[in-house]
Amino acid sequence: MLQQLVWSNELDIERIVDKYGNMLFRMCLVILCNENDAEDVVQDTFITYLTKSPPFNDSEHEKAWLITIATNRCKNMRRYNIIRKHMDINDLQLYCKDDENYGLIEHLMRLPNKHKIVLLLYYVEGYKVDEIAKILAITTSAVKKRLQRGRELIRERYRKENER
Amino acid sequence: MNFDKIKETVNSIEMSKTMKNRVKKNCNIIEKKNFKGRISVACAFGFLLLIMIGIPLFNNNGNFQVSNFTITAYALSDDGNQPNTKLSSDKATFELSTEARGSTTDITGDVGNLIFTKLMLNISGEHIDSITYTISKGKFIEDVTLTAKEYADKDWLLSKKIFMIGSSPGSDRYNGTKEIGNTYTVKYNEQDKYKYSLAIPHDGNLVIDDDIIIKVIVKYTDGSSEQQDIVVTQESNSIKSNSISLKLN
Repeated sequence: MLQQLVWSNELDIERIVDKYGNMLFRMCLVILCNENDAEDVVQDTFITYLTKSPPFNDSEHEKAWLITIATNRCKNMRRYNIIRKHMDINDLQLYCKDDENYGLIEHLMRLPNKHKIVLLLYYVEGYKVDEIAKILAITTSAVKKRLQRGRELIRERYRKENER
Repeated sequence: MNFDKIKETVNSIEMSKTMKNRVKKNCNIIEKKNFKGRISVACAFGFLLLIMIGIPLFNNNGNFQVSNFTITAYALSDDGNQPNTKLSSDKATFELSTEARGSTTDITGDVGNLIFTKLMLNISGEHIDSITYTISKGKFIEDVTLTAKEYADKDWLLSKKIFMIGSSPGSDRYNGTKEIGNTYTVKYNEQDKYKYSLAIPHDGNLVIDDDIIIKVIVKYTDGSSEQQDIVVTQESNSIKSNSISLKLN
């Protein structure tokens, strides 16, 4: 019985890392701008999943729960100033399969956290405003404001870059 | 500015295979390290309550009498609900929360190995005068709230048999655990006043002792009495679901 349970947990780890590993890693990497920190958060998130996750209604519920845990951990890392040195944007080439649009990622990474998390959830994960509000436990108007401000900041930075 | 490009660009970032394997490996290591503890904690959730012996007694007139009372087990779950199950011959399962008292202080130093459950019992029936519960191993306990003044008075705490103290960060209230003993009697219509739960002994690894029996003797208003025994055991296959099973043996 115990052996079966160990085996079942190993399968669970395989499944969740394969299913959500990339999604969480890219989100954490953009938020933390450091691959080691991103890996740590992803790992912590999965360990939390294995030890404390509630019963999920469906895979969307599971995914949203993992995103909430991961983004909270990212925020804590930044809050307590325990993040490592930011990675050089050129190092992103190690991760990006797409060698275009590095500029866009760079601008996104330089945004304040609260804006980039909302942009990531909206544009990358395809969540709606009310869904993001639930995941981040903020109001829908706050989500809209952050989306708007995030977009403005990226536009401004692009414009300044083009003016040089 | 095409913001939809964000998706394309961010999605091109991938974890390296080495990193992915490292995460899996580390998760497995930590999972296995915690496994023994988790089994124990999970086992604490999974008490199997069995009414082993529904003893039909003879009443004062010497007539054979079928048990006339029902025992309901209440288990306060983590979400604050109070699922309850009438103990019967059919196996029933429900979630059972045990309170982690890792941050509490044992002021007597002799509490020993006890699993504190949120499991309570209630009796229903007609013409019942009083109920006496006796647990063969372990104690009945009561959760109490203390003021800072009470918390500071160790002699008072000991006199009241309040032996475990814990506090919530930022709160001036303290949570205590009061020992009721291995037996208590309660009037039938005063059951709601006495919310006593079970503290069950374990072997140091949160594996509970065998043969724990809670004897329930009901005294009726006509002077007759009845007894049913509940056997408390642990169910180790409830690790994932934290469920409890109850059945009549």
